[in-house]
Amino acid sequence: MKQPLHIPPPKVPLRFLKWFCSPELVEDVEGDLSELFRSRYEQNKARARVLFWFDVLLLFRPGIIRDIKLKQGLNQNIMLKNYFKIALRNALRYKGYTFLNLSGLIVGIASSMLVLLWVQDEKNMNGFHENGDKIYQVFRNMKQSNGVVSTSTSVPKPLADLLDEQYSEVEAIASYSWEMDLKLTLDDQTTQEEGRFASPEFLNMFSFPLLLGDKDEALNELNSIVISRAVAERYFGDNWKTEALGKIFRLEDGNVAVSGVIENTGPNSTLQFDWLRPAQVYYNANRWVNDWGNGSFGLYITIPDDEKAARVEDKVLMEIMDHTVDNDAAGDEEVIIQRFSDTYLYSNFDNGVIDGGRIDYVRIMTIVAIFILIVACINFMNLTTARSSRRAKEIGLRKVMGAEKKSISTQFFFEAILLTTMAVAVSVLVVLLLLPYFNGLVDKSLALDLTNINTWYFLIGLIVIVGSVSASYPAFLLPTFSIIQSMKGGIKQSGFADFFRKGLVVFQFAISTLLIIGTAVVYKQIDYVLNKDLGLVKENLVAIRLQSGTLQQLETYKTELLRIPEVSGVTASTGNPLRYGRSTSSAKWEGKDPSAGYEVNVIISDEDFIRTTGMEILEGRDFSEQMQDSTNFIINEVAAKLMGFEEPIGKDLSFWGINGKITGVVKNFHMQNMYEPIAPLIITCIDPSRSAVMLVRVESNMQEVLGQIEEITAQLSPGNDFDYEFIDKVYAEGYRSERTVGTLANIFAFISILISSLGLLGLTSYAAEQRAMEIGVRKVHGASVGQILLLLSRDYSRLILLSFLLAIPVGYYVMDGWLSNFEFRTSLNLLVFLAAAAITFIIGVITVGAKSYQAATTNPVNSLRQE
Amino acid sequence: MGKYAIGEFEEVVLLTVAVLYENAYGIAIKEDIEQRLKRKVSVGAMRTALKRLEKKEFLTSEFGEATAVRGGKRKRYFKVTPYGKKALEKVMSDRQKLWEAIPSMAFDFK
Repeated sequence: MKQPLHIPPPKVPLRFLKWFCSPELVEDVEGDLSELFRSRYEQNKARARVLFWFDVLLLFRPGIIRDIKLKQGLNQNIMLKNYFKIALRNALRYKGYTFLNLSGLIVGIASSMLVLLWVQDEKNMNGFHENGDKIYQVFRNMKQSNGVVSTSTSVPKPLADLLDEQYSEVEAIASYSWEMDLKLTLDDQTTQEEGRFASPEFLNMFSFPLLLGDKDEALNELNSIVISRAVAERYFGDNWKTEALGKIFRLEDGNVAVSGVIENTGPNSTLQFDWLRPAQVYYNANRWVNDWGNGSFGLYITIPDDEKAARVEDKVLMEIMDHTVDNDAAGDEEVIIQRFSDTYLYSNFDNGVIDGGRIDYVRIMTIVAIFILIVACINFMNLTTARSSRRAKEIGLRKVMGAEKKSISTQFFFEAILLTTMAVAVSVLVVLLLLPYFNGLVDKSLALDLTNINTWYFLIGLIVIVGSVSASYPAFLLPTFSIIQSMKGGIKQSGFADFFRKGLVVFQFAISTLLIIGTAVVYKQIDYVLNKDLGLVKENLVAIRLQSGTLQQLETYKTELLRIPEVSGVTASTGNPLRYGRSTSSAKWEGKDPSAGYEVNVIISDEDFIRTTGMEILEGRDFSEQMQDSTNFIINEVAAKLMGFEEPIGKDLSFWGINGKITGVVKNFHMQNMYEPIAPLIITCIDPSRSAVMLVRVESNMQEVLGQIEEITAQLSPGNDFDYEFIDKVYAEGYRSERTVGTLANIFAFISILISSLGLLGLTSYAAEQRAMEIGVRKVHGASVGQILLLLSRDYSRLILLSFLLAIPVGYYVMDGWLSNFEFRTSLNLLVFLAAAAITFIIGVITVGAKSYQAATTNPVNSLRQE
Repeated sequence: MGKYAIGEFEEVVLLTVAVLYENAYGIAIKEDIEQRLKRKVSVGAMRTALKRLEKKEFLTSEFGEATAVRGGKRKRYFKVTPYGKKALEKVMSDRQKLWEAIPSMAFDFK
C-alpha cells in the first residue's frame, strides 16, 4: 500500500515547537522535521515518533527559542488611564456614596491594623533571644490535696545540679530567681532596685546585650553585680560607659563590685531585672535550697534539637519523686519542660497541662480583626452592586464599543484597588493618630514602623486582598448585564444578586451581634469577678511590706499603727491573702492516707488575722491572745472537707514538726484567681516574725492615714522605701488582660456595627431612590407616612432578625467555652443575648428608619413630576 | 580568530552547503553530512549552526517551493556568500601554512 505523502507528526511536540521556536525559523524547521519524520516513519513508526520528540527537545536551545516579550499586543496603559479617570469622576459625582464606602473601609482597615499591631507585639514577646526556641523552662507540677495539680516555676536546686551533671542532651542550664529588692548605696546615694540572682550561664543563654563586661565572666565572682543601663545612668550619669565598671556598691550585707552593665530588659521581655547577682551567693546564705523537697529558683535549660528535648522530657518527669522517696516533706510531684518562646503565650496550666493562655486572646483578636475586614469588604460589595444600575449605561456602551467581559471585570477590580489604596493611605494616618490612645488602652508601646519593609509588604498585601475581595462580586456580576437592557436603562437585577446582597447583610449583622454578645459576656464576667464576695473584705485594706526595722519590732509597730484613730485592725501575715501560694506537703492529721502527698497552703499570721481581714469563722472560734493559741490552727472549709472530719474542732493536726489542734474553721476565701478552685489552707499564729506584710484596715480618710502610717514606718525602719499596696487594687490588676480584651471587644463591636450601619444606610437610600416613583403613587393614593416607613424598613428589619438566629447559637457556644476556663463564673443567661439583639436591632432600625422617613415625607409631586 | 571566525562544525556545514550547491536545504545538508562524513547530526545542532553562519553573513537563505512531504511547509535554501568563501579559504590556507611549518621529524614516530 502506498503511503500518503504527508503523515502528520505527533501533535504535542509540534505544539511545543510552535510555542518556543522563533517565528522566522518555525516554518522551515517544522518542514524539515516533517520530512524527516516521514522518511523515518517508513522504516519504524514508533522510532520515528521517539526521534521526533528527541529532535524537538534538542531544538529547544538558545538561538532557536524566540525572544521573550513581556508585553504583547495592545498597550493597556491607555485603558487603565481611562479607568482611572472614570473611577475618579464617579467617586466625585456621588460624594455621599463614596463617603459611605470609603469611611466603612477606613474604619475597618484602621481598626484591624491596630489589632494586628497588638497581635504582632504579643507574638514578638521574648522574640529577641537568638536561641529562644532551644531554651526550655523547667516546671514543677505539684499535686494539691484537693486533687488539682498546680504548676510552679520554682524548682529544687538539686534538680538543676542533676540536669547539669547527668543529662548529656542538655547543653547549658541557668538558674534565675524570683524578684528581690536590693538597696544599693554608692557614696551618699541609696536606691532600691529590683533584680534577680542568676547563675553565670544566664548571660550566655539569653540574648540581653551586655554593654560593658564579659558575658563569660561577669557573674563568676561572688561579689560581682551586673546592673541595668537604667541603674548605671542613675548612678554614673552620661559617663557610665567609662565609670561604671569596677565601682563598689555597699549593700546591707557587704560590698559588691560592678562587673557588667546590661541593656535594659525592655517591654519585649518577660524576664525583668535591674540587677543580677550570682546565684551562688543566695545558695551559700540559704542552705534550705539544697533539699529536693524545696522549690527554689526558676530553671532554664538549652537543648539543641527537638528529638533530644523529647528524650529529656521523658527522663526528667519523675526525677523529683525518685529523689524524695524517703523525704517526708516531699509531695507528689512531676517535672515538665516547656519551650521558652512559648512560655509567654501559653502560660496557663490546667491540671499540670499547658492549656492556652494569652494565645487565646491573640487568636480571638486576630479573628475579630479579620471579621471587621470582612464586614468592611461586604459593605463595599453591597454598595457597589446596589448602585451598579447607575453604571449600567456606561457598561452597555463599553460593550457596544467592543469591550470584553474580561475588561469590564478589570475595570471594577481597578476601581476597587484604587479606592482601597486611598482607604489604606488614610487608615495609616488614622492609625498613627490613634496609636497613643490605643497604647494607653492596651498598656503597650506599639508603633507603626514605616521604615520597615515588612510594614510595606503588609500594607500592599492589605490593598490587594481587601481590594480583590471587595471587587470579586461586582466584577463578577456587572459584566453580565445584557447590552440592550443596560442601554435602555433600568437594569433589572437578577433575583440572585438581590438574594446575595441580603445574605451579606445578614452576615454583617450576625458578626456585629456576635461581637456585642462577646463584649457583654466578658464585661459580665469581669463585673462578677470584681464584685464577688471573696470571703474577706478587700476594700480599704492596705498591705505594707515589712522590712528590717518594722519586722524586728512587730509588736511596737502594731501598737503604733493602732493608735491612729481611723485604723481599726492590724495584722502581720506571710502574704496578701488574695494572692497566696505558700504551701507544705508535710501536714498530717488523724486518718490521713499516709501514702498520699498533699499540698496544703499555710498562712503564718497573728491573732488578729481573721478580725482584720474580715473573714468569717463558721465553726469553733478565732485565735485569742489570752488562750495562747500558738499551736492552734484555723483551717478553711476546703481543708476541713479534705481531712474528712465530721467535727473538725479539737482534732489533731501537725505540719513542719508543729503539733497542734484545730480550733476553728474559716469560711472559704479566694487565695488565687478565679481560674483556680479554692485550695485547702491552714492558718497559724505560731511565729508572726516570719511575716512579710502588715495588713492594715483603714476605716476612712485613706490618704491622710497613709501619710501617718508612712511616718510611723519611717521611724521604725529608717532608710527604707515605704512600700504598700491596696489589696483591692492588686486584685483588680490581676484581671488586666481580661479587662483589656473586654475593652477592645467593646470597641470593635461598636466599630463593626458602625460599618454595618453605614452599609445599611447606603442600601436603604438606594432602595428608597429606586422606589421613589412607587412611593409617590402610594402617597397620592392616600398611604400614610407610617405605612411607607413600614414598607421600606420591613425587608431589612427581617434580615436583621434573621442574623440574630445565626449569631445567638454561635455566640453561646464560643462564650460558654471562654467562661468554662473560670472555676468561678457568671451565668450565661438569655438577657445577654436579648440585650445584644436589642442593641443591634435598634441601631439597624434607626438607620433604615431615618432614611426611609426622609423618603416617606418627600412631596410626591417631586418624584412624579418627571413622568 | 579575526573576522573569519568559524568553528569546526560550522565549517563542515558551510562546506556541505557549498557541495550541495542549489539543493542545500535543512534535511539535505543533514543527510549529506551523515553519509559523507559518517557523523551524527541532530536537527537542533545543525539549525543553530546555520543560524549562526547566516548571522555572520557566511550564508544567505531564501524560501523555495513547498512540498506535500513537508506538510505544505516551504524549504529554505542556503547559499554560500563570497564572504563565506573567503572564510573557508582562510581556514584552508591557515591549515596549509601550519602543515608546511611542521618539521619532518615531528611526525617521525619510530
